[in-house]
Amino acid sequence: MRMSLADRVTAVVFFALGTAMLVGGYTMDRLEIRQIHPLSIPGLVPMLLGGALAFCALILFFQKNAEGGPDVMIAFGSVSRLALTVALTFAYALILVGWLPFYLATAIFITAFTFVFSWSNEATPRARILMMVKSVVFGGVAAYAVVSLFEKAFLVRLP
Amino acid sequence: MNQLANLGTALWELSTPIMLFHVAWSMLLGIIVGALPGLTATMGVALMVTLTYSMDTTAAILVLICMYVGAIYGGSRSAILLNIPGTPASAATSLDGYPLARAGLAGQAMGLATAGSVLGTLVGIVIMVTVSPALAELALRFGSYEMFWLALFGVLISGQLTVDTAPIKGYIAGILGLMIAMVGSEGLHAFVRFSPIQPMNGGIGLIPAMVGVFGLAEIMTAMWQRQGVLAAVRDKSDRIIPSFRQVWKYRVTVLRSGVIGTLIGVIPGVGEDIGAWASYAAAKRASKEPEKYGHGSTEGLIAAETGNSAVVPGSLIPALTLAVPGSASAAVLIAALFIHGIRPGPMIMIEQPQFISTMAAILILATIAMGIYGLTMTKLFVQVLRVPYAYLMPLVFTLCVVGTYALSQRLFDVYVMVAFGIIGFMLRQMKYPMAPLVLGIILGTMLDTNLRRSLMLGNGDLWPFITRPISAVFVLIILVAIALNFAVVRRGLARVRTKLVWSRNA
Repeated sequence: MRMSLADRVTAVVFFALGTAMLVGGYTMDRLEIRQIHPLSIPGLVPMLLGGALAFCALILFFQKNAEGGPDVMIAFGSVSRLALTVALTFAYALILVGWLPFYLATAIFITAFTFVFSWSNEATPRARILMMVKSVVFGGVAAYAVVSLFEKAFLVRLP
Repeated sequence: MNQLANLGTALWELSTPIMLFHVAWSMLLGIIVGALPGLTATMGVALMVTLTYSMDTTAAILVLICMYVGAIYGGSRSAILLNIPGTPASAATSLDGYPLARAGLAGQAMGLATAGSVLGTLVGIVIMVTVSPALAELALRFGSYEMFWLALFGVLISGQLTVDTAPIKGYIAGILGLMIAMVGSEGLHAFVRFSPIQPMNGGIGLIPAMVGVFGLAEIMTAMWQRQGVLAAVRDKSDRIIPSFRQVWKYRVTVLRSGVIGTLIGVIPGVGEDIGAWASYAAAKRASKEPEKYGHGSTEGLIAAETGNSAVVPGSLIPALTLAVPGSASAAVLIAALFIHGIRPGPMIMIEQPQFISTMAAILILATIAMGIYGLTMTKLFVQVLRVPYAYLMPLVFTLCVVGTYALSQRLFDVYVMVAFGIIGFMLRQMKYPMAPLVLGIILGTMLDTNLRRSLMLGNGDLWPFITRPISAVFVLIILVAIALNFAVVRRGLARVRTKLVWSRNA
């Protein structure tokens, strides 16, 4: 995707966000019942910020090229690696933690992450089994180390 | 003289075996964090806050400062050996450090980088000890009007200077940060704003947001791109420890870079990378051999390293005296200070007059440890760089989760961290800087309450906002900074400069 196109899309999003904040601030309770000073209403600064963001979004939208130089492409990396990272980290943080005991959740996450990203298509079945064993051992030891360090050494309560 | 005596006392009090042990492990960890591409100083300090909850205040601050100093220095290892800056602060270091390593002088380059970092931090400490009390005294005269301008100034300047594209993106990032700070209970009437669910009533926590944008976003970026390969560098340097003559040769460069780095550090939210680039550019302009820069100039290397290290004490000056962080890492330090019961701000010299000296003493201990490690453990750091991301990143993410959960014991904070990770990742790809966003979250409450309080005090009168002396200075700086974005203003200034030079020559 070209940066100029990405800037236009984000400008629209920011304009909508700024306008929403402006309206949210304007319609916010003015606490008249508590007889506060009219210039200290809670919605004042959100209104100003919403307006400022909408204004900046307009500049971004109409600015020829926010980069100030030739239009560049957004540097894309490996989409599959990113998708795997997102899937694994989100599964750990949003599902496993809080559902399973922390040690188990962490051991599963570290093992899965290490195994997935050590995977090689060229590896022999024997090498893959070895890799799997290494990942499981690393996951178990690392999870034990993290739990012991925080719970025993630093007295932090874990989920 | 009094400051010197206080510093001596603080150094003596800190030189206990347990404190020296804390210095030793936290500095080593800091250097490793900094050396590993994908782990930044801010992320290291944010994660380290979790480990310091149960420590006493001085030990906790010492550990965090060592992590900060170590990580900024550690970034130079991978910049020199891999041409991949371990932290953004070391980007300028790689320009001359890597060519030196390719020429077989990796050891010499790392020795000089260490000397530069040590001297840069020392220059910064001297300025910090001298300037902080005066700045704190000046800050006592700040009223609501000035505090409002200070918050706005911080976000705007940070937005302008941290962006490597158009400043509008920096401003947008700053405004987004300020908007995030509007969520939850506000400071004047305890009215809850923009909070659809109960856990958001207290607002968005700084630590979860920071760990998200600097931690998870960094992990996603690192896994998205591929890890660099360790350059096949063979070290032919005859010595790692630079000779006194070698360092003395660059005394002017060191002093200039140290002062520039410290001053950049004082500017809210700007940070170490700008300090390094500004020092590097100034050294190149003044150099007798500017053509060597970028091709293995030892002067360029020492300028960049002195500059980024001097930012550390510089960034602590406004953090301690105004509660406005000079860098993103200093922002985490402020949060940690509050957690440990220290209230940074104008009252610090009255409530805890020894604290500045204690900070300076901690920085001196950190600098000594950095020098020792830097000159003796070069080979270990090279080995650390070989750790694959497949093993490193899941561990780092586990620390991100524990770090965000541990402070309030709420899973909600973990979800906030994940959300900010996604936001941070997307914004980074589109070249939005993260420092103004974080600074906005920190300064949002200050801006909000002081603007409304000022309006109440003046009963709607706007004149005091521009007629009070300190306010007027802030307004002037803000207007000049914004005006400089317009090409027509820059062209006008260039014309005036040319005319002045012409009339002087005539």
